[in-house]
Amino acid sequence: MSDPTFPGDPHPPSYVVAEPGVEVEWQRLDPRMLLVHPVREVIRFLPPLLGLFIAGQASGGGRAWQFLGVLVPVVLGLLRYLTTSFRIAAGRVELRRGLLNTHLLSTPLDRVRTVDLTASLIHRVLGLTTLRIGTGTSSASEDDELDLDGLPVERARALRGDLLRAAGPMSYDEAPGAADTDAPVVSLDLGWVRLAPLTSSGLVVAVGLLGAGSQVAGSLDLYDDVDPGSWSLGVPGWVVVVAAAVGFGLVVSVISVAGYLVTNWNFRLTRSRGAWHLRRGLLTTRETSIDEVRVAGVSIVEPIGLRLAGGARLSAIVTGLSADAAGSAMLVPPAPRDVVARVAGVVLGTTTTVPAPLVSHGPAARRRRWSRGVGPVAALVGLVALTVALTDARWWVLVPAVALLPLAAVVSADRAAALGHTLVDGYVVSRSGSLARRRDHLAVDDVIGWNFHATWFQRRVGLTSLVATTAGGRQSVTVQDVPEALAVTLADDALPHVVGQFLAPHHAPVDQRTGEPVDVARGGSGLVGRRGEEDSDDGRVVGGDEGAR
Amino acid sequence: MWQLSNLVEGTITVAVLAAGLAVWDAIDLRWWMVGLGIAGVAVYAGVVPQWRYVVHRWEVSETAVYTQTGWWARERRIAPMSRIQTVDYAETAIARLFGLATVTVTTASAAGALQIAGLDQERARRLVDELTLKADAVEGDAT
Repeated sequence: MSDPTFPGDPHPPSYVVAEPGVEVEWQRLDPRMLLVHPVREVIRFLPPLLGLFIAGQASGGGRAWQFLGVLVPVVLGLLRYLTTSFRIAAGRVELRRGLLNTHLLSTPLDRVRTVDLTASLIHRVLGLTTLRIGTGTSSASEDDELDLDGLPVERARALRGDLLRAAGPMSYDEAPGAADTDAPVVSLDLGWVRLAPLTSSGLVVAVGLLGAGSQVAGSLDLYDDVDPGSWSLGVPGWVVVVAAAVGFGLVVSVISVAGYLVTNWNFRLTRSRGAWHLRRGLLTTRETSIDEVRVAGVSIVEPIGLRLAGGARLSAIVTGLSADAAGSAMLVPPAPRDVVARVAGVVLGTTTTVPAPLVSHGPAARRRRWSRGVGPVAALVGLVALTVALTDARWWVLVPAVALLPLAAVVSADRAAALGHTLVDGYVVSRSGSLARRRDHLAVDDVIGWNFHATWFQRRVGLTSLVATTAGGRQSVTVQDVPEALAVTLADDALPHVVGQFLAPHHAPVDQRTGEPVDVARGGSGLVGRRGEEDSDDGRVVGGDEGAR
Repeated sequence: MWQLSNLVEGTITVAVLAAGLAVWDAIDLRWWMVGLGIAGVAVYAGVVPQWRYVVHRWEVSETAVYTQTGWWARERRIAPMSRIQTVDYAETAIARLFGLATVTVTTASAAGALQIAGLDQERARRLVDELTLKADAVEGDAT
């Protein structure tokens, strides 16, 4: 069970039947799910059951009702098992379920993007797992998820192998079992745990607990029972505050570390048979497989806390998998930066892309970061000062506002320093941000369009934001505030046959290394769409908008 | 078309604001506030559409579609023909008054829809046919 790769020989019978037209038997999930479903249903019905139980006790002689109360969920669980079946036939995965509302789900095999194996504790005890097929649908309905809940682990692994093989291109030339024993690209190092307290997840959990705790306390009227007089411990108030802060920090850290370990225990990233396999989890184990062809790029994300500690996260941009399904696209949990960089290089298959130096965006972009970062804070300070001057508010209200100024300056400087882009080895690389810095690497082949976005302010200083759209992840990679001419050059280099034809003849190239535009009109556009019908005889369709005014 | 729809939008905004003020009655309405609002709407309905019209360009070649839209924030979008997923043709109520239509070209990315607004209906239909044919000629699932 600790082997994340597919079982070799003897190979279980294939579940993918290639020839169409053959009626394939519907298959059931594993009978052991008969144990899981009723238990789960009972747990789900626990609150009403308890109510029923108490009511039964109160009215007396309600033994039969109590029995019935337990029976209903159990029967529901049984029915769920009996009504769920699936098959893989004629190049499609089909899942049928439901008793009253029959639901038939069907998807072509070549649309399979990811395959997830998730096993909760109860599944693991029974040797079962849940197989989830990610097809990149944007439907949010739970009914539309392709879950095969409760397959024996061996069978699920075999099925996963078959699915990925059928989904990918026919280039799996490795003999079965040959590349199965790949050494993991990366596996969990316990030293990484030190980064856990710096992630925000622990804080979120702690705040949630605090909120829930105070709510419970409030609803139980605990506050009324607290006598403020009894709180005097003979120490100054600030000691108590500091102690509370330290204690809170400790609790957050412990929760973070625990959460990190529970989710990422035994984390391993391996590659075999044209797919990336990721395995992690202490209680609930999770195995994700991402079809290699679908990996359009990777993002290295460095939130401020992690970055200060020299850590980062790595996630994949998977075609057809939106950012909502973030769990499926994660490649490396918070880990030291050099580890992340190495893995990113391995996943991209190049050694030059990740450490490649970036082209700076020049002074105009830097000024824009500054004005955008410090400007609002300065305005705020002015506003507060005005309020203080006009009303008889206390002068110290100004202090926090003024204190924000240097903070904004630091962030602005950092943001300005972060800006950069480059095009290396067929990957568009873009970096931006300070509090949440990210460096996106997107394969040129997966760029499905370019957007040039420029407000009037940006045009005035000759900047534009270049957006590379893609079908996966966050749907786009933005190169922020890049000088107009550089943006056009980048887009043109990436997709020459597409962008080049729209370039105005007078467009001159720029020196990609220095970023010095050879010819750029202030606020002018390097791309000039032609208007009117004058060109329509050369095979293109060129039109002005014929809108009425 | 844009002029009319902006006018309608602007008038509705002012009407809602006025209604809100009348109901709320918290701020006493000064004449210059009203003037400012009306001037804003006038600019919104008079200048912005002209600006929009001047900016809006589109071009279709053998391999790609290119649009330029916007007024304050200008957006130029290029989508390769091979990545086109759908071609939409839409006539809003106001557009139909003028015999116009809007063609929207979408790609597999949520960030990449191209819109060509205010086309003559006949022209728009021809464009849709042409784009559909061209996009259809490319193999693969365009992601």
